[in-house]
Amino acid sequence: MSTTSAASTAPDRAHAPIAGAPLLELEHLYHRWKGPKPPVLDDVSLTLRTGEVTWVGGRNGAGKTTLLRLAAGILLPQRGSVRMGELTPASKGGLYRRRIGFLSAGDRSLQARMRVSQQLDYWARLAYVPRERRRELVDISLERFGLQEFAERRVDRMSMGQRQRIRLAMAFLHEPRALLLDEPRNSLDDDGYRLLGEQIERATAEGATVLWCSPRGEDRVLASDTGYTLEDGSLEQIE
Amino acid sequence: MRAWFEAMSGIMRRDAILFLSYRTQLISQVLGPFFTIAVFYFISHLLKVQTFHSPGGYFGYVIVGLVIVEILTLSLGIMPGSVRQELVSGTIERFLVSAHGPVNGILGTMLFPLCNAFLSGVLTLVLATAIFGLPLAATSFLAIPVALLGVIAFMPFALLLVALVMAFKQAASATQFIVSGIAIVGGLYFPIAVLPGWIRWMSEVQPFTPATDLMRHLLVDTPLVHPAGVELLKLVGFAVVLLPAGFILLRAAIRYGQRTGTVAEY
Repeated sequence: MSTTSAASTAPDRAHAPIAGAPLLELEHLYHRWKGPKPPVLDDVSLTLRTGEVTWVGGRNGAGKTTLLRLAAGILLPQRGSVRMGELTPASKGGLYRRRIGFLSAGDRSLQARMRVSQQLDYWARLAYVPRERRRELVDISLERFGLQEFAERRVDRMSMGQRQRIRLAMAFLHEPRALLLDEPRNSLDDDGYRLLGEQIERATAEGATVLWCSPRGEDRVLASDTGYTLEDGSLEQIE
Repeated sequence: MRAWFEAMSGIMRRDAILFLSYRTQLISQVLGPFFTIAVFYFISHLLKVQTFHSPGGYFGYVIVGLVIVEILTLSLGIMPGSVRQELVSGTIERFLVSAHGPVNGILGTMLFPLCNAFLSGVLTLVLATAIFGLPLAATSFLAIPVALLGVIAFMPFALLLVALVMAFKQAASATQFIVSGIAIVGGLYFPIAVLPGWIRWMSEVQPFTPATDLMRHLLVDTPLVHPAGVELLKLVGFAVVLLPAGFILLRAAIRYGQRTGTVAEY
């Protein structure tokens, strides 16, 4: 099992920008679902900065997942913009997504009948991790999320908490600049939560930014730098 | 470019792992063609008409049709179903958030079904020859490049069905309609000469008829109505016109879902 240090394996974060510099900018976002409902996001702006953790809370259905999906490029803005420097999900989608690590809420997006190591290798290929680094990053991810002993186990034979660790390992594997996490604490035990905290600290120390969304304040990550609540389509900063 | 190929091979490897993890699937895929061939072998004994000028008579004629139906069912039929499965299980999300992207990802999901369909077609021919005595022509090996060209010309139909799945989440009835329609107007089970005049024009406006005629000519020596060069040009023409249109349609369907927010719905 490789134990190469994180700093030496992070090409995208090799020249970490100044802490606090704007990294991912969401400007004047508007999104309305079909039907006679008010917009779920109405003129929402948020700047995610290097080395920082941002927490967004709000009741169920407030629009947190929509906000994360827009930031990840899964959805495209009906109005407003999402950009990371010159990159946007619509114009340079591949390059943009290469810098994004996304974790959706729930337990989906896993190939049930693949082994854990196969699952991570598959994701590394989709994320365009170069062949010479793929094995190394898969091994590191297994180690960082405490999955080594399950590496050859099929995903559908694992517990919900173990599956959440695999999904987190995929979000972090390709060493993205922006980590977008939707209810990341789901099903995690204390050890899993500790490992997640360690990886967030490591990533932010290397200049990444983290956006953590969850409905409850107690789920809020300990080191959160900025907090917001999303309500009636607007973001309000928590003092 | 290397990263693109590695991602594509990753998707294909994933689909192979999933396919082989269901062991009975492989057995049924081998036994299925055997029984279908047997049915048509005995039916062919009842049909002694002058319409079939190939050495194998109706049996040779219909076996090539069966190979193409096999390819259509496994590619056109299974592909939209697989993409729908990706939507339901949420695994499509991996494409949507990856550097590889959704269009490439969906294209990647077509590779394993196409290879599987190709191998299944070869198996059908092998079984028909080895067990039921189908006389294969000496030009049979030339059918491989023609089949590959045919697959490229068929692909836009698969892209259309996948675009329907991405936009409307279901395409099962459209798939059945298209495969059955092609079987009729493409002359897969019977010659198009027996079709009524008002529907016969449809045999000329899709790539399945020239592909089937060429394959029959190369595999079982059925005489061609048009020169081989003309049939090949038709196939290339359909591929050149329809393939970009298929990609544009798929991209538009994904973009529509991304704007309205329905892309992750199922």
